[in-house]
Amino acid sequence: MFRQKKAVKQGLRIIIVGCGKVGSTLVEILSNEGNDITIIDKNPQKLESLTNTFDVMGIEGNGASFTTQEEAGIKNADLMIAVTNSDELNLLCCTVAKQVGNCATIARVRTPEYNKEVQYLTDQLGLAMIINPEFEVAKEISRILYLPSALEVSSFAHGQAELIKFKIYEDSKLNGVRISELSGVIKTKILICAIERDDKVFIPSGNDRILSGDIISFVTPRKQVKDFFTQIGVKSSKIKEVMIIGGGKAAYYLSNMLLNMGMSVKIIESNKNRCEELSLLLPKAIIINGDGTNEELLKEEGIATAQAFIPLTGIDEENIILTLYAKQVSVAKVITKINRINFRGVISKLDLGSIVYPRYITSEAIIAYVRAKRASMNSNIEALYHMYDHRVEAIEFLIDKESAATGQTLANLPLKKSLIIALINRSGKIFMPSGSDSLMVGDSVMIVTTHTGFNTIQDILE
Amino acid sequence: MNSSVVRYTLGQVLKIESALLLLPCVVALVYFDRNGIYFLIVAAMCGLLGFGMTLVKPSSNVFYLKEGCIITSLSWILLSFFGCLPFYLSDTIPSITDALFETISGFTTTGASILSEVESLSESITFWRCFTHWIGGMGVLVFLLAIIPIGGGSQINIMKAESPGPSVGKLVPKIRSTARILYVIYFVLTIIEIIFLTFGDMPIFEAINTATATAGTGGFGVKNDSLTGYSPYIQWVVTVFMILFGVNFNAYYLLLFRQFKKAFTMEEVVHYFAIILIAIGIIFTRIVGSYQYAADALRDTAFQVASIITTTGFSTADFDKWPAVCQTVLVFLMFIGACAGSTGGGIKVSRLIILRKTIIKEMTSYIHPKSIKKLKMDDKPVEHEVVRATNVFFITFVLIFSLSVLLIAIDGNDLITNFTAVAATINNIGPGLSMVGPTQNFSHFSIFSKYILMFDMIAGRLELFPLLMLFHPELWKEMYGHYIRKFNR
Repeated sequence: MFRQKKAVKQGLRIIIVGCGKVGSTLVEILSNEGNDITIIDKNPQKLESLTNTFDVMGIEGNGASFTTQEEAGIKNADLMIAVTNSDELNLLCCTVAKQVGNCATIARVRTPEYNKEVQYLTDQLGLAMIINPEFEVAKEISRILYLPSALEVSSFAHGQAELIKFKIYEDSKLNGVRISELSGVIKTKILICAIERDDKVFIPSGNDRILSGDIISFVTPRKQVKDFFTQIGVKSSKIKEVMIIGGGKAAYYLSNMLLNMGMSVKIIESNKNRCEELSLLLPKAIIINGDGTNEELLKEEGIATAQAFIPLTGIDEENIILTLYAKQVSVAKVITKINRINFRGVISKLDLGSIVYPRYITSEAIIAYVRAKRASMNSNIEALYHMYDHRVEAIEFLIDKESAATGQTLANLPLKKSLIIALINRSGKIFMPSGSDSLMVGDSVMIVTTHTGFNTIQDILE
Repeated sequence: MNSSVVRYTLGQVLKIESALLLLPCVVALVYFDRNGIYFLIVAAMCGLLGFGMTLVKPSSNVFYLKEGCIITSLSWILLSFFGCLPFYLSDTIPSITDALFETISGFTTTGASILSEVESLSESITFWRCFTHWIGGMGVLVFLLAIIPIGGGSQINIMKAESPGPSVGKLVPKIRSTARILYVIYFVLTIIEIIFLTFGDMPIFEAINTATATAGTGGFGVKNDSLTGYSPYIQWVVTVFMILFGVNFNAYYLLLFRQFKKAFTMEEVVHYFAIILIAIGIIFTRIVGSYQYAADALRDTAFQVASIITTTGFSTADFDKWPAVCQTVLVFLMFIGACAGSTGGGIKVSRLIILRKTIIKEMTSYIHPKSIKKLKMDDKPVEHEVVRATNVFFITFVLIFSLSVLLIAIDGNDLITNFTAVAATINNIGPGLSMVGPTQNFSHFSIFSKYILMFDMIAGRLELFPLLMLFHPELWKEMYGHYIRKFNR
């Protein structure tokens, strides 16, 4: 019909099964980007509240059922995303969808047993992607712990470059420095991509100064990160002891990573059976059976001397209180996990150290995939991160073909405002481009921008 | 309360009305009709006002059901006010109350007229009369949703307030595409009817007017005797299309996607056709004796039944003279009305299905007091909220209905006139019985009664609550309370 021809330009037809935390975040972002979204859930109240807020269609039913999927229009759908509570249901949804329609499928699978078989499952079931929020959260936390002075660390160019979020204090060497004069203060080559000041985020130019209280984001090759911190006089002492509250899946994945990195891990978990399970899974970790929100227990287990303190309970309020408490009694690096995003304005006012939002980490991967699928064939999104409450996007494009953006020097390209080309990865070598460089086919390019919804590399042009 | 969105959307509605008013101007140009100038003046007024109201964009695009209701009922009132000006200015209808009555009757697709003579009307006036049915049939706000890109999901609240039926769903994920699909189906069906009518040697101008009036299930005719004078072929075409426009448009959408089985087994559509057949059966057996040919009796019966159940209100026979049992059946059909999601009015077949199932459920609960049974429709559970809303709708409907009958009884007409006048307006039909019968009109009512009937027409078209919301003081306090507080300081 008349609608179908246009749909390719307008957006993808996406079916999302499950309207939990990740599901509703996806609905919000993907529908705002102009995709046609149908949501399936068993709970009519949840559907109702989502269809009232966003321009999406809701269908009540079991997402794995063939009839429900057909009603949701699986035959014409481009993508099916299954993010219900149950791994098995998600996999079944995708398997059925694959048989009925000819669409790409993404499933959330988070049980540790399956996590080891991700590759096998993806190949055998023909999935486009498997996402595991707990595993991604653990990865993000471990990256931050590896570099405790940073607030947030994201990897680009297959881990060769890092995008680091960092707070400037009164006594920092960088306080008051003009960006064009940075090279006079520090020798490490860094590129400042975004600055948050007084609740506003902007992409700085050479004339802007760094002030105390700013939260800056910069890009630098991974090898030079430690160098940078020693030069500006921030001690990046290595963390050896980590205390984790709550023994859920994320805690398990994280402990596994940290133990492999040679840190010692202490987990406090209140459920005895879970403690026993954990002690079998993580023989090297210290498992404490007790209430992690009990002040006495925390003192007894040495919160005052812990180098890092990570509350990973399922309740945001508990996590926040624990973090605030830890900030008070110790100098430990704290990382707060926040599941729901209500009251983000309040949360950002609190001094919670690094904050990790699992639902965003998961949705970022999917959104990157959707945008890449929407884009024409001449470029591809490799990675995408949202920063500063979705006000800034960092996107890595892979350039497959010649386009209007290639072949010319950057100085000659009519680039949009509020946009920075942070680095280019050319045949495995990364460098920060200057005006005389140009984009070439085969490059992967990292863009930081306050615009949202870039699909292809051409979107950087006016 | 987001009053800036209300202002902005009303401005957009006025802009659309201004554009729509240009169509009768075109008609006037074609037929050298001097009245065209009045349409041009009113179009300019609407355009300027609408432009002024939309100069400042709303501070936020997020709004809720209450704003949706206010937007809908206020825009219907505004639309009717400006729509009546050409009648008044051109002196076709010298009284402003009568002009307003005629226009509201047009937009709400009622078709109740205060004019006793329509053949002498100029072309542009005739066209506008019939065209208001077409605009009102699918709803001007749905049209707005179809053409104006507004981000966010709040627009569903406008659609909920304007579209008829116990629960409003989308056909496709995006509301804009949904609104477009509805209008495309509507438009194409109208065109097909025009083509069929011209095959029957109906002049093109009359065909267009008749088709737009049928599409909106309105009922304004171009001839004094409605459709009585046309050939049997044309009467059958109109009968079929009236029935088609009374079908839930979701069924057409399903047909477009070749889901024939689903479309033909939709509970509401099946009930709708069953009711039509039963009604035709009863009336036909009663009146066939008084006709010379059975075919004529069947044609008249089918036409009248289709006209009343779809709430169109055309007529080819004076059913005021039919036996009482036939009249009773027709009055019954008035209340049943067409399907939800169609252009027709009335209580709607789907509501009656829900009511019937609720009654059966209630009886079962007397036998098995602890039994739990969820209502189902088309094999899908009906949420408790929908059932509750349907019950409340029914009660409110009865209350408003009786109150209106009481209020217009002050005029001193007989009960049948009063009863059917209210039934014909609140269900958006047009003709009733006795003094408002198919050969009569509404001009003899007092001004007060006319305003009561106008209220009934809009209330019936918007399905009561969006209009009743306007009378809730809290809403106005929320909307303008901060101005008053500022003033008091």
